[in-house]
Amino acid sequence: MNATKHIELRGVRKAFKFFSLEELSLDLEPGQIMGLVGPNGAGKSTTIRIAMGLVAPDAGEVRLLGHSLPEHQAVAKRDVGFVSEEMKLFPHASIGWHMDFTASIYAGWDAEYAAKLTKRFNLRREQSVKSLSSGEHMKALMLLTLARRPRLLVLDEPTTGLDPVARHELLSEFMDVLRDDSRSILFSSHNTADVERVSDRITFIDRGRLVDSRDKEEFLERWRRVQIQLPVGATAPQPAHLVGSVVDGQFVTLTTDHFSDEWLASVGAGVRDVQRMSLEEIFVASVFHHREARGE
Amino acid sequence: MKVLTRKLIAKELHQHGWIVSTVTLVGLGALAMATQGKMQFNIGLLVWLSTVIALGVIIVLTGITNERKERSLLYVLSLPLSGGDYVRIKLTGLLVCFGLAWLVLSAAALALVVLDADVPDGMLPYGILLCVYLLANFAVVLCAGLHIRAEGPMTAVVVATNMGVTIFMFTVGATPALHDHMFGSAPVWNSAFWVTLAIELAVIAAALILPLLVAARRRDHL
Repeated sequence: MNATKHIELRGVRKAFKFFSLEELSLDLEPGQIMGLVGPNGAGKSTTIRIAMGLVAPDAGEVRLLGHSLPEHQAVAKRDVGFVSEEMKLFPHASIGWHMDFTASIYAGWDAEYAAKLTKRFNLRREQSVKSLSSGEHMKALMLLTLARRPRLLVLDEPTTGLDPVARHELLSEFMDVLRDDSRSILFSSHNTADVERVSDRITFIDRGRLVDSRDKEEFLERWRRVQIQLPVGATAPQPAHLVGSVVDGQFVTLTTDHFSDEWLASVGAGVRDVQRMSLEEIFVASVFHHREARGE
Repeated sequence: MKVLTRKLIAKELHQHGWIVSTVTLVGLGALAMATQGKMQFNIGLLVWLSTVIALGVIIVLTGITNERKERSLLYVLSLPLSGGDYVRIKLTGLLVCFGLAWLVLSAAALALVVLDADVPDGMLPYGILLCVYLLANFAVVLCAGLHIRAEGPMTAVVVATNMGVTIFMFTVGATPALHDHMFGSAPVWNSAFWVTLAIELAVIAAALILPLLVAARRRDHL
């Protein structure tokens, strides 16, 4: 029997005045870390808010931990830890107050782990939320969420605005959470380095549309940049699955999302270099290719 | 009642406890001053009135409008509750916060009318109508806070309801059926009183029920 998907979006549409999410479908399996990557305004936060039941779609189906949303969000959210860069704790209260409050609501609250995280993040219970820096505030949110040991973590741009040390600390904690392979994470960011570090599945989103979604390794294996030196007077080759082609005199740089030995053979002679691409390069090329294909 | 609901209502009391107790003390102090002479009566009554109105506005602005503006709403909605639960919790929590101070201050003001020999007992019906009006005023501001997301229209509601108190005092106070008995030695419970009270109670009921029918059923709460 298949395990219940932690997040299921089917044909989700949501229109705002100047933006719309179109026919979005994605699945998050138990134990999976999905990086949701997109430029600013791509629809990452809207997708996450719909997945959390905070915003109702105009059309489509949303299920969170098997519960239909937004109707059954109260039950579903018991096992979900949601943190957003835009989220703020109650400014009048202290971290300790929030810890006690969270502990009283969630049966899974792990006081020992909370104390460990408090120390690791260099936070103090008596600190007022008002006095926290943005990095400390994000750590406080993460502490409150991780110490509940939720089955699913939904993180919307959690590392935005953090210094490299704070980012490293948070990402290390995510990895710790994933040691339990029944838990999963949906992690949105426009920082591809963070996503590449923690995710095992990656979804690209742009202008409200899903561009591509597959395993990280598959992305990294399928995308290549190939440099060719053309004989004088020859035209640039046009192999199948060409995502980009840049001609610079005798030299041509081809980008493909279907790299294989067969594909390389189809390019012909004159190959000077085959380069692996970083996730950021893949993301940018993918987004531009998608926009071009849509005539945008 | 669910644990989370209880905790969030308690959080409202925790958050607004200092302002509720401060306003209650200031209001009681103002009423004590009102017993000291005619001018002190006028000043005391004005301070009492202002504190009750201000409390209602502050509670709604800090409890709902600022929570949305400061993005704590996203945190609250991440908890295991629905948007409808959120509206019901806010409605109950903020009503309890205001209601505690309103109850004490209204009872003290009406006690002043009854016990102070210099204040005619004929003022009692008007006093009751004024106190209930202040509750209705709060209920309207609370209802608006739960429906209106933009700051501009919310400010307009606050200004309009503040002006409404003055208009109420003058129009109801000038109604012959009420005004004619105001300075008498005994309260007169005539139909004008009961009709006005019924209208006030209807406004309160409508302002408290509307969020349950509209705001609580919204599909988007952000």
